[in-house]
Amino acid sequence: MLGLLTKLKEPLIETLLLTFVPLIISVILGFLFGTLVFISSDSGIIDTSNNWGLKILNKISNAIINIFRSVPYLIILIWLLPITKLLVGRILGWQAAIPSLVVSATPFYARMTVIAFSEVNKGTIEASKALGANNFEIIFKVLLPESKPALLSSIVVTAINLISYSAMAGAIGAGGLGYEAYQYGLIRENPPLMYMATLLIVLLVFIIQFVGDLIVRKVDKR
Amino acid sequence: MISIINVSKTFKGKNDVSAVKNVSLEIKDKEIFGIVGYSGAGKSTLIRLVNQLEKADSGQILIDGVDICELKGEALRKQRQEIGMIFQHFNLLWSKTVLENIMFPLVLKGLPKKEREEEAIKMAKEVGLEDKLDVYPSTLSGGQKQRVAIARALVLNPKILLCDEATSALDPKTTEEILELLKKINKEYGLTILMISHQMETIQKICHKLAVMADGKIVEQGSVDDIFANPTDPLTKELIQTVDTGVDVNKLSIELKDKYPQGHLLRITFSDKTSEKPILYSIALKLNIPINIVSANLKMTQAGSLGVIYIHIEEKKDIGPFLAELELQGLKVEVV
Repeated sequence: MLGLLTKLKEPLIETLLLTFVPLIISVILGFLFGTLVFISSDSGIIDTSNNWGLKILNKISNAIINIFRSVPYLIILIWLLPITKLLVGRILGWQAAIPSLVVSATPFYARMTVIAFSEVNKGTIEASKALGANNFEIIFKVLLPESKPALLSSIVVTAINLISYSAMAGAIGAGGLGYEAYQYGLIRENPPLMYMATLLIVLLVFIIQFVGDLIVRKVDKR
Repeated sequence: MISIINVSKTFKGKNDVSAVKNVSLEIKDKEIFGIVGYSGAGKSTLIRLVNQLEKADSGQILIDGVDICELKGEALRKQRQEIGMIFQHFNLLWSKTVLENIMFPLVLKGLPKKEREEEAIKMAKEVGLEDKLDVYPSTLSGGQKQRVAIARALVLNPKILLCDEATSALDPKTTEEILELLKKINKEYGLTILMISHQMETIQKICHKLAVMADGKIVEQGSVDDIFANPTDPLTKELIQTVDTGVDVNKLSIELKDKYPQGHLLRITFSDKTSEKPILYSIALKLNIPINIVSANLKMTQAGSLGVIYIHIEEKKDIGPFLAELELQGLKVEVV
C-alpha cells in the first residue's frame, strides 16, 4: 500500500502540474477572450447596432471558440505537436502537454465567462453607465464582481476538465496519474496500481469540487 | 434646467419602432415633472435620452444650456454624474454591501477612501439606512433597496434625478414612503426631478407638472392641478379617472343616479384654487338651495386638494343660477 503510494507520488505531482499550470493560463486568457466576445455582442455596454467592426469581431471570436471546443482534445494535442516542439523544446514530459491543454481549456473558459457575464442584470450595467462608469470600469468594477460566483464555479469545472484531459495527455508521455493507471496498471496488468491511481484521480476531483463549492458559497451574496 | 426640443428616436430593426416622435418639454429648475402614459408609450426611451443611455436621432436636449446629445466619452460621463437615476428594479450591485453600493459613484469619481465613506454614510442617514450599512441588498425589502438606489444616485450631489417607474415594483405603503422621501429631497436639495410612471396616482401625489404621453407623442401637458381640473385629451381623462375616486367614475355616476333618480345630480370637480374656500356653502346659502352631498373624494397634492364631489338637489328647484354661480367660481360642473 505504502509502496504503491510512493510509486504514485511522482505521477500525482505531474497531474497537479498538468491541471493547475494550464488552469491559471487558460483562466486568464479565457477571461480576456470571453470579455472580448461579450462586449462585442449586444450586451448593452457598447452600442453595436451600427458598428460593423464589432459585429464581425464578435462573429469571428465566437466561431473560434466553437471550433476549438468541438475538436477532440487528442486531435488538438497532435495538431500542436510541431508548435509545442518549437515553444517548449520537447514533445515528452508534462511541459509538452501544456500548450494543447491551454488551447483546449481557454475557449471553454471564454464561453463560461460569456455565460457568467450574460447573467449579470442588464439594468445593473445601465445603472453603472448612468453613474458615469466607462467601459473599463463596467468590466472590472461591475461585471467581474457581480459574476464572481459563476466565474469561480467555472474555474472548478475547467480544473476538473483539465484533470481528465491530462489523462489523455499521458498517452503521449506527459506522465500523470492517468498515464500511470493506463500504462503500468492496465497494460502491464497491475490492478492494484490501476485502482489506486484511479482512486487518487477521483479523490482529486472531489477535493477540487468541495473546496470550489465552499469558496463559491462564501462569495455569493445574491 | 432641462429643455427637450423636437427630439425623436426610432429603434431600427426588422420592424422599425418609432418610440419618441418629435417631443418637446421644458422642465424648470427645482421642479418635479411627471410623464405618465401606458407601457409602450415611449416614456422609458424619453427618460433615457436625457442621460444619453439612448441616443436621439434628432433634436436637442439642453441641460443648463449644454446639449447632452453632442457630448461624447469623458465629457458625457462627467455630465452623467450630474444626473442621478433610479430604476423600477433598483439595479443595485448585488455583490456589494449597502455602504459599498452608495460609495460606488464616488469610487468611479476617484475620491479617497475616507471621504468616500464619510459621504456615503451621510447619504445613508439621509435615506434612513444607517443601520443597514454592512448588509447585502438581497436581504433588504423593496423599499429599502430603492432607498439604497436613491442614496447612490444622490451621493454625487446631482442637479437632476431621473426616476424610471421608481415605485412601480413597490406596495402602496412603501410607494407612499418613497414618494415622501423624493418630495423631501426635492425640497432640501432643490433637486429637479423627472419621473415617469404608468400610474397617474404616483404622478399626481408629488409632481408639480405633468405630461401625458401616448404613441411616442406628448398629448397634453401642464400643471397637475390644471390638468386634473380641465383634462382635454381622452387619454388624460381616462388616466385621471383611475385616480379621482379609486373607483370607476362612470360606475359611481350610474350607481348614484340609480339611488337618486329624481332631482338634479351634479358632479363638481375641485382644483387647488377652489378647494380652500367655502364656495359650495356660500352659494347654497346665497341662492337658498338646500344641497345634499352624496359622495365626496378629495386628495391632497403638491398644489392643494383636488377632487370630486357629487351633490343632489331636489327636482323643484331651478339649478340654472346655481350652475352659473359655480362656474363663476372656477368649478367644473357636470349634470349627471
